[in-house]
Order: sequence, then C-alpha cells, then structure tokens
Amino acid sequence: MARKASKKRINDVIFVAQIISLSMLWMFVISLSLWIFHLLFLSIKLNDVPGASVGISLVAIPVFWTLVGVLTYVFVGLRRNRISSNHGKS
Amino acid sequence: MYRDLQEEDALLIRPIEQTGRGFYVSVAVLLAIIMAAGLLFVRQVYFGLGVTGMNEPVSWGFYIVNFVFFIGISHAGTLISAILRLSKAEWRRPITRMAEVITAIVLAIGGLHPIIDLGRPDRLLNIFTSGRLQSPLLWDVTSITAYFTASTIYLYVPMIPDIAILRDRDTRPHWLYKFLAWGWQGTEKQHKVLERAISILMVMVIPIAISVHTVISYIFSMTLQPGWHSTIFGPYFVVGAIFSGIAALILVMLAFRKIFHLEGYLKEVHFLYLGRLLLIMSLLWFYFTFSEYLTGFFGHEPYEMKVFFYKFAGPYAVFFWGMILCNFVVPVVFLSFKGLRNITGVLVASTTVVIGMWLERLIIVVPSLSNPRLSVPGGLYIPTVTEWGLFIGAVAVFVLGFLLFSKFFPIISIWEIREGRETSVTEVSERVKKYLPEASTT
Amino acid sequence: MPRWGMVIDLDKCTGCGACVTACKQENNIPQVSPEEAEQGRAISWMDLVVETEGEFPDVKVRYMPRPCMHCDNPPCTKVCPVHATYHSEDGIVAQIYPRCIGCRYCMAACPYTVKYFNWYEPEWPESMEKAHNPDVSLRPAGVVEKCTFCSHRIQKGSEQAKAEGRDLRDDDVIPACAESCPTDAIYFGDLDNPNSVVARLARSERAFRLQEDLGTEPKVYYLSEEERDV
Repeated sequence: MARKASKKRINDVIFVAQIISLSMLWMFVISLSLWIFHLLFLSIKLNDVPGASVGISLVAIPVFWTLVGVLTYVFVGLRRNRISSNHGKS
Repeated sequence: MYRDLQEEDALLIRPIEQTGRGFYVSVAVLLAIIMAAGLLFVRQVYFGLGVTGMNEPVSWGFYIVNFVFFIGISHAGTLISAILRLSKAEWRRPITRMAEVITAIVLAIGGLHPIIDLGRPDRLLNIFTSGRLQSPLLWDVTSITAYFTASTIYLYVPMIPDIAILRDRDTRPHWLYKFLAWGWQGTEKQHKVLERAISILMVMVIPIAISVHTVISYIFSMTLQPGWHSTIFGPYFVVGAIFSGIAALILVMLAFRKIFHLEGYLKEVHFLYLGRLLLIMSLLWFYFTFSEYLTGFFGHEPYEMKVFFYKFAGPYAVFFWGMILCNFVVPVVFLSFKGLRNITGVLVASTTVVIGMWLERLIIVVPSLSNPRLSVPGGLYIPTVTEWGLFIGAVAVFVLGFLLFSKFFPIISIWEIREGRETSVTEVSERVKKYLPEASTT
Repeated sequence: MPRWGMVIDLDKCTGCGACVTACKQENNIPQVSPEEAEQGRAISWMDLVVETEGEFPDVKVRYMPRPCMHCDNPPCTKVCPVHATYHSEDGIVAQIYPRCIGCRYCMAACPYTVKYFNWYEPEWPESMEKAHNPDVSLRPAGVVEKCTFCSHRIQKGSEQAKAEGRDLRDDDVIPACAESCPTDAIYFGDLDNPNSVVARLARSERAFRLQEDLGTEPKVYYLSEEERDV
C-alpha cells in the first residue's frame, strides 16, 4: 500500500516537472516574440527603415508558436490517450 | 503495456546499459581538450582579439569560417531525415536519429562561434536591448534559434517511443526516462498523435533549414565586397551545406557502425544510397561553383578579378585547387565507378568532402577581405594557436556531444526499425501496386 | 542642418603626412608595436594611401589622404546589429563606443576600409599618456572606431555659436587634419551651403569621389587634374 502511494508521489513530481519544462519553453517563445516587437518599435522610434527584415522576423514569430504548439499537442495528446488501467505508470 | 525488446534489437540498447572503460577514457580526454580550448578563450577575452591572426583588412577569420562550416553541417540532419521521411524512403530508418543528433549538436556549436568572435562578448545583451532587425546578423540570430528549436523538437518527438522502451526496462537513470517519455504506451491513438506531429514538423523543418543557410549567406552577399556581392550565394550555401552535411553524416554513421558493431543495421546499401546523394550534391556544388566563377571572370571587373586571381593563382591557389580536388574530383571518382563504389570509397569521398567544404568556407571569407578595393598594405591572414585551439575544441565538443547522447539514448531509432520490419514491407508493396495499371478482370 | 563634407585637393597634397599625425594626436589614437603594425593592426583614422607606378627610374608615386568618407548611404550602418554606428542628421557617420559589441561586420562591409578595430587594450608611450585630448573619449579594447570629421570640434563650434547667439559658420569648425595641412589641401564645410568653399569645390571640374558607382554617396571629394583610376 505504501509502495503504491510513494509511486504515485514520484509520478506526480515527474508530472509537475514536465509541466514546468513545457512552460519554460512557452516562456522562451513568448519572450522571443516580445523581443522582436521591442526591436521593431525601437527601429520605428529611431527612424531606421524597417523594410523586408521586419517581414522576415514577423514570419519567425508564427514559426516559433507553431513549434511550441506542436510540442504541447504531443504532450496533451499522449497523456489523454493513455489506457486508464495503467494510470500508475506515467 | 509496451512490448518487451526482442533480442535482435538488444544491440541498440547495450551501449546505454553497459559502459565500457573506453567511454570514460574518451570523455576524459575530450573534456581536457575542451577545457584547454576554454582557457584559450578566456585568455582571448582578457587580452583582446589581438591574440588571433585577424588584422586590417582581414577582420574575419577562423571563427566566422567555422561558424559557417558548422552550421552548414547541420543540414545533414534535419534536412536529410525530413526529406527522406517526406519522400517515404524506407532506407532512412537507421539513419534519421543520428542525422537529427548531428543537427542539434552542430547548431549549438556553430551558434556559439559568432559569440567567440565578438570583441566585446560581455556586451552580448546589447543585441536584446538595442538590436537592429535590419542587420543580416540578427536575421541569423532569429533563424538559427528557430532551426535549433525546431530540430531539437524534431529530434525529441520521434524519440519518445524509444525513451519509453528504456523506461520500461528500468534503465538507469529511471527518472530521466520517465520524465521524457511523456506517458507513452504505444496505444493506437498515441501513435496517431505522434505521427501527426511528426508530419507537421518534418514539413516545417525544411523551409526553416533552408532559410538558415540562406540567411548566413546573406551576411556576405548583402555587402558590396567583390567576391561576396553575388546573388548566387543563397542557393550556393544551401547546396554546400547539404553537401557537407551528408558527408559528415556518413562519417558519423561509419564511426558508430565500427564502435557499436552496427553492421547489421547500417548496411552497405545505406552507405551506397547516401553515397549516391553525395555524388549528386558534388555535381550540383560544382555546377554552382563553376557558374559563380565563370560569371565573375567573364565580366572581368577589376576588383572581382583581383579576388579571382588571388584564389586561382595567388596565395590561396593551393587551398582553392585543393578544394576542387576534395569536393569534386575525389567524390566523383570514388562514387561513380563500380569498382571504387563501396564502403571504403564512400569513406574516402566523405572525408575529402568535409575537408573540402571547410576549405570552401575559408576561400569565401578571407580572399574578399584580403583584397579590399582601396589599396591597403598587408592582407595576410595567419591563424594563431588560439584560433586552432578553439577549432579543435569545437570538434571535441561535437564528439563529446555524440558520446553523451549515445550513452543515454539509442543511436538508431528502435521503433522505426521495428515499424519497418512489421508494417512497411506490406505497406510499400501496396503502394507499388497502386502505381501499376489495374489487373484486367476478364 | 548642415551636411558636413570634405574636399581634398590632390594637386596641392605633398604627401607629408601631417594630417595623419595631427589626427592621431587629436583623437587619442593608440599606438601599436612595429610587429603589430606589420601585421596590419595600426590604427589611422586619416590614412595616407600611397600608390606607386612604374619601375625605377620612372617611378610615379601618388598620395591620397583617406579619412572616412561619411557616406550619405553608408554600407556600414546598414549591417550593424546593435545601432553602434549610425548616420546622424548633420551627415556624420558616428560611432557609439559603449554599445559596440565588436562583431566587425561594419569593417567587413565598408568598401573603403576606413574602420579600425582595437585588437588589444589601447596603449600609448608614456609621454603621450599625458597629452590626451580631453574632448575625445578613449576607446576600450574590442570596439570599432574611425574618423569622425572631428565631431567634437563641430560640437564645440556649435556651442560657441549658440552662446554668441548666431548661426554656425563654416570657419567655426575645422578638423585637425585640415588645420594641420601645410599646403591647405584639405577643406571642410557644409556641402548644403552653396556659398561654402567645399560646396563650390565639389562642383569643380577636377572633382571626383572614390567608388562613386557603388552608390554609397561619399562626402569626401578629391580634386585632381589628371584622371584617377579609383
């Protein structure tokens, strides 16, 4: 009985760690997008001609979001489609 | 409940579960080399970039050459594994994992090189506070970050089933595999999720990879310098990258085949097919090179010609013709003729291509700087111990990265091999039947 | 807003090198050892480009003082990743030393090779250490520097004019190289002022600019009777 409880504890800790690692990736992507917007506003403020380079960067932001989105989809999809009888194994 | 590993694939798990003395010795040696390189770098930061061989006008040297070289090799991985997956080439199965690992490691190494090259690495954060997106260098930062993120995810997601195998075998460290396996059980629905994700990724990764090396070429082609300001640079660099990438992949495969006795998985046919791709890339590379130099020569612009003759007949002639030998003559000879077209031939060709492509990067970066438009005395670039040391250190990081990866994860994708054995044979024969005309019913 | 430019009369230039020395003194330019200079590490914001033609005894030597061209369409500012080099409103291509990360992309992009790098921490002989110009900041190791058209003198002149409640005149400002030239071969002024010396001379028949076909729009004009192949 105690072994099953400690096993559940470990699984919970691992689950939390997985959520944290995924959130860190989300934070990375969000801060990257914020950085690009910061540079965009800076270039407008300094009258530095934006041009095609801005377009390139604006393509980059959706790319990052899609990548993180796919990874999150995998995480959620894998968790959701487990056989519930093996709920102990994480 | 995920199935137990059959005996036949146990060979792929053995390097993870059994650590020989050779592993520890290699890691120790590599760490020593890397630490020495680290010390050289610290010395460079302390004294200044004067410890290198760079000068006026050759203000870029080894670090930028290696930057382009290492990022170029990254195309091995993701591009090959993505393209082979996309085109449903069944022979890719034992190759994809190694290819994807090359990309991840080499992007990290390459991405660090511009930082090593900075005069003021302590001011790196200025890129975040006052960066200019208009500069090709920042396009580079963005695209390399995108590629690194994409290729790491593209390495990790197809690795999940293999991690689950290790988790179920209670391989140590158990917590690591449990953490990374994300609850994989091999159910049909989970397979669907994984396949859908992989198909999105493999399509996304290709334009990202192409953009990376194109953008690197823009660093040079967006300037006005003779020898650099060429419209061909974008495609030229991508072709060169795929070329050097395949060669590096072959060398890595041969190394692991030898060390882990993977002759059963990495068979001659795999090397011959990759050798065929290498041959095609060699011809394509030569075509681009020929176009580039013929155009320059035919126009006969004085400054272009200065750079041209510097490469063809001047101080860089030995590197230039060495490059042609390594990138074109040797690969074509060893990969075309039946007698020479075997694993040894592929090994020779890949080695010369890796060397030749490094020479190509050198030939792109230095001669244009050595021959500025206004006559400036000097222009000779002789790399110093610091630059050689950091080069060797970078290669050591590459090797160490692979060693560590192969210690914790299978270097060949177990579940994809298994999928190949079980379902692909029937799937492929169904597919081929569809291409052929229907059997008549009469 | 003035558009500062320079005219250098090559028919008056004797190649004495006073401009080079004056610039080094004025702008606290560090000195390097002979070995370093041999390697190409010497810094000369104003440089004397020497071209020799022919064999002895029919040798022809040409001297061309070469400051920064202060292009109106500068290739160097386009590529800087951190706004450390920029084109100011009065036409000066300026450097922000504290921001430069030393990537040397601007050096690679400049078609005139006017940008210099501090490969080591700057050093001067002891006697020169005491003779620094307080108006010009000292640069640390690892940053790029180049001719600034003595913008500190321009600033001083503007402040002087403002204090006296009048407009800035051409003769309020003279860079160190122009000031030191014994034959008065270097002129400096506002190219947008049709009455200024530089504007007049820039329109002369003898005037040409370096690498004009690149479209960089350099603001240093050279005057020469004979055809120059640049």
